[in-house]
Amino acid sequence: MTDDYLNRALSRRRFLKLAGGGIAAAGIAPILAACGGGSSSSSAGTTAASTGAAGETAASGGGEISMWWWGEQEAIGIQKWVDSTLAGFKEESGITVDPLLMDTAAVIPQFTEAAAAGKPPDTQFLFNGIYHMENVWLGYLQALNGLVPDETLAQSGATVLSVYQGKQYRVGWYIVGFGIEYDKRAFEAAGLDADNPPTTWDAFLDACDKIKTSGLIPFSAGVKDGFFGEWYFVNTLTQALDNPSQAIDLFVGNLDWTTPEYYEQWSKLQELVENGFINEDANSLELYQGIQLMETGKAAMTINTTASLPAAQEKLGENLGYFVMPVYGTGAMAGIPITDTQGFGIPTDAKDAAASAKLLEYMHSEERVNAMWSESRALPADEKFDASLIDDAFLKNVYETWWVGDHNAYVADLMPTLFWTDAMFVNSQKILAGEMTGEEAGQNAQDVSEKWVKQNPDIVANYKTWAEDLAAGQ
Amino acid sequence: MAVDEPLVRAEAVPVEPPRRRLGAGRFVRQLLLACAAILALYPVWFMISTAFKSNDQYLDNTYGFPWPLDVANFSGALRGGEFFRWLANSAILTFGSVIIATLFGALAAFAIARMRFRGRDAFLSINVGLLIVPPVVMLIPLFTLYTQFSMVSTYWGVIILYAGLTLPFSVYLLSNFFRAIPRELFESAAMDGASHLTILSRILMPLSAPALVTLVVVNSLWVWNELLIALVFLPDEQKRTLMVGVTVFQGRYNLDVPLTMAGMCLASIPMFFLYLFGQRLFIRGLTAGAVKG
Amino acid sequence: MLKTRPWVPYLYVLPAFCLIGFIFAYPVAQVFNYSFRLIRGNSGPWVGTLNYQLIFEDPTFRSAAKHSLLLLLAVPVLLAISVLVSVLLYERARGWKIYRSVLFFPFILAVPVVGIVASYMFTLNGVVNSLLGAVGIDGPDWIGDSNKALWTLMLVIVWREVGFGIILFLARLLSLPEEQLEAARIDGAGWWSRLRYVILPELRGTIEFYCVIAAITMLAWVFGYVWTLTKGGPGDATTVLELYIYNQGLRNSLPGMASAVAVLLMGATMIFVALLFYVRRRQHEEEVA
Repeated sequence: MTDDYLNRALSRRRFLKLAGGGIAAAGIAPILAACGGGSSSSSAGTTAASTGAAGETAASGGGEISMWWWGEQEAIGIQKWVDSTLAGFKEESGITVDPLLMDTAAVIPQFTEAAAAGKPPDTQFLFNGIYHMENVWLGYLQALNGLVPDETLAQSGATVLSVYQGKQYRVGWYIVGFGIEYDKRAFEAAGLDADNPPTTWDAFLDACDKIKTSGLIPFSAGVKDGFFGEWYFVNTLTQALDNPSQAIDLFVGNLDWTTPEYYEQWSKLQELVENGFINEDANSLELYQGIQLMETGKAAMTINTTASLPAAQEKLGENLGYFVMPVYGTGAMAGIPITDTQGFGIPTDAKDAAASAKLLEYMHSEERVNAMWSESRALPADEKFDASLIDDAFLKNVYETWWVGDHNAYVADLMPTLFWTDAMFVNSQKILAGEMTGEEAGQNAQDVSEKWVKQNPDIVANYKTWAEDLAAGQ
Repeated sequence: MAVDEPLVRAEAVPVEPPRRRLGAGRFVRQLLLACAAILALYPVWFMISTAFKSNDQYLDNTYGFPWPLDVANFSGALRGGEFFRWLANSAILTFGSVIIATLFGALAAFAIARMRFRGRDAFLSINVGLLIVPPVVMLIPLFTLYTQFSMVSTYWGVIILYAGLTLPFSVYLLSNFFRAIPRELFESAAMDGASHLTILSRILMPLSAPALVTLVVVNSLWVWNELLIALVFLPDEQKRTLMVGVTVFQGRYNLDVPLTMAGMCLASIPMFFLYLFGQRLFIRGLTAGAVKG
Repeated sequence: MLKTRPWVPYLYVLPAFCLIGFIFAYPVAQVFNYSFRLIRGNSGPWVGTLNYQLIFEDPTFRSAAKHSLLLLLAVPVLLAISVLVSVLLYERARGWKIYRSVLFFPFILAVPVVGIVASYMFTLNGVVNSLLGAVGIDGPDWIGDSNKALWTLMLVIVWREVGFGIILFLARLLSLPEEQLEAARIDGAGWWSRLRYVILPELRGTIEFYCVIAAITMLAWVFGYVWTLTKGGPGDATTVLELYIYNQGLRNSLPGMASAVAVLLMGATMIFVALLFYVRRRQHEEEVA
């Protein structure tokens, strides 16, 4: 029983921002790792799962670099790949890598603080978009162009959100797709075609209605911690956009949230709530408690990421299905799967940037990319990956649909945190509580965006440049 | 606080119980207390009983009696043995900081309560004002300060930090209690030629035993339960405290309510036993203060 | 007052003064400094009172301040329960020793533990509503309804914090001279009049102390409860000043604004405390003189 939960994949966002009791504050900790007497191997903020950490360093001729990473929390088993990669890298280059598995909430803030103190690691794990772009703007990360071969940069799967002013700051690692998971048995019981889930919003509403009649909760959610709100928001707002840069335009006030097409996602949520398609205790549950309702057979559908699918497979087996958010919007991005990637970068003050670049290149060698699946069952972002290695039909289909085919950027990677706390979080909860309409949600979003611009005049300019880059790149 | 020969004997207990009256008043009192006790204990019972259920039992019936008992949650929570290391770390920090805060607090409170000097009220006001500084805001500058002095990731550094943070409260509480002790006691002792330190250790401390014990208990609980500072100033996993460990634990297992509750129980057991075994001392402290006359 | 050489009191105060100075002086000075700057990382340009203006324009701040003030309503509740229960215990109601231990028990639980346990108990389909359902009551959505979440939060805080009040007042009562009460009893004073004219005046100093502590707890030390129970939601229904400081300072990377709120909080407390001391000194001088 307990092992089952041990193996549950955890979303990065869940913990990134969760930062319970101020875990985020631990961001300051690495400075002390740096000042606390040279040994940066003190496990600042490591999770309890540090048991498998790679063997301690024994300095050999090739030098030593440090790497702060994250990922075992989300893609359970990726540690194995990290260990074998670092061992292989030492054999090949003679360079010892000292890895430190960081806490989810701390991995980025801790890096920022360490970089501010001039003591960052040589290789740093990076989430996509604004999570590392803020550090780029502060001058804490260096462009990889020239350090890492162009071919590796292009194939690594870093996505457009890793590029600013023509420079790339991140290489990709593994993929995280977004969609709706469902229980085929519930679809059959409601008289629906279990192998052809709805693709349009109307068909989706119709399916919800039939499921509700059959006695199950059509769509389960837990919004207390806000992450359901984020996932739902991205899956739906994207449908109104032609280009990710429009999301930035909305956040910085160049576009208006009170335009009906930009608040429609919240009207649709209101519609689901008013029809009774969402569990009524959604407001007192957290994200994964909501997902659990679906996975324990009380609900038919829920929102989830591809990284969690292997864990869901263990519960539902053949009955697990996964589909792209049904479409109502008319933006160019509508109906296309949404996929993000995790990645690595090199800090400006890295002691040995050349060695770190070599490590990134080694991670992206064909053998290592394929090993990510064979050793850890994670889906690599690198284009060199040989997809015929995937021996699970369901996951293979997910990989092909969410990564090989046409896919969208994850627009929450462009979202200022203030928008998260004051608009996205507030709107989703108030709508679920029946206290806000979609239109009011749009008005609140507009107010929050204006407030953010006022509070962060220094960052707005960077955002605007970034939006121009993204618009031009399409 | 060794009290060999109190100048004024705090002869106290057992105080004669006031005569009990029969009738409605007594019944109402019992009813009130019983209700309060049930309300106080129910969440604790929920935590403990849930910890002994399997997840299926819990999902089946959230408030039923846990039968058959399932102890797997506890072994699950204890797996890895980190628990005992967290426990030892928390104990070291609590012990060290509470001693310092109590000692320094008593000295200062004595002067504030019983001597007249310039800046006395200002000092006391500052203490009260400092109570309201949210620790979250002080974190970044405090960390810079600690980095300068190489005090991060050391036990003694964090002990001093906790002692400093609990000191304003300690000064405030003790000066308040010291003030309540009848003036005549000092004045006669001072006339007998007793030194200030003697007055402090032989009169004030014994008479303030309830306050001191209360302070020690409250400060211990505060330090023991503190999360933010422990997390930031002790990033070394070997020095992780119990509360940090528990929070990480809950984040990982929050879907399995019984397993989470087992973790919560384990985290509460040390303070529970301390309270249970310390209760005699605690109560002696409380009643010793019940001075007659 | 004891007569001393003028420097003696300072000697007693010195250790505490030094330690408090070491821990607080620099950080508090920095909080003031930050509140006038646009801080990114560790420093930033001087922006005058901009942070303060931004705060007052921010509706989230206004609702956080409102919720923090509403939480102060818990202070009289805490006070009333602790005084009442401690007096009942002091009168040695049957089994008072057991009650004393039981009623203090919630206070020994850690705040994260209390918040986490309560967050499971108060879900719409949680154990509290199951129990209410068993006796035929349709329970409310304790933490999922914006109109109730703040009261649920207050309930949970009172549940844990009241133990401290009970023990504090009991300790004070036990150090009171019994004769006075006995005399009142023999004079035939009833329970309420004994409470009103004998016990409450004796408890005055402790009540004052406890009110200050409880008010400060409600304003500045409830983060752990909020975070584990509601995360500030639903919507902004349980967003309090402390959470606002946390969000602006750590999540939204605006330590300047967070510091400005902290400065305002400290200022407000200082005024409150100064008033309190002014009143007390006047009373005190009447007594001592």
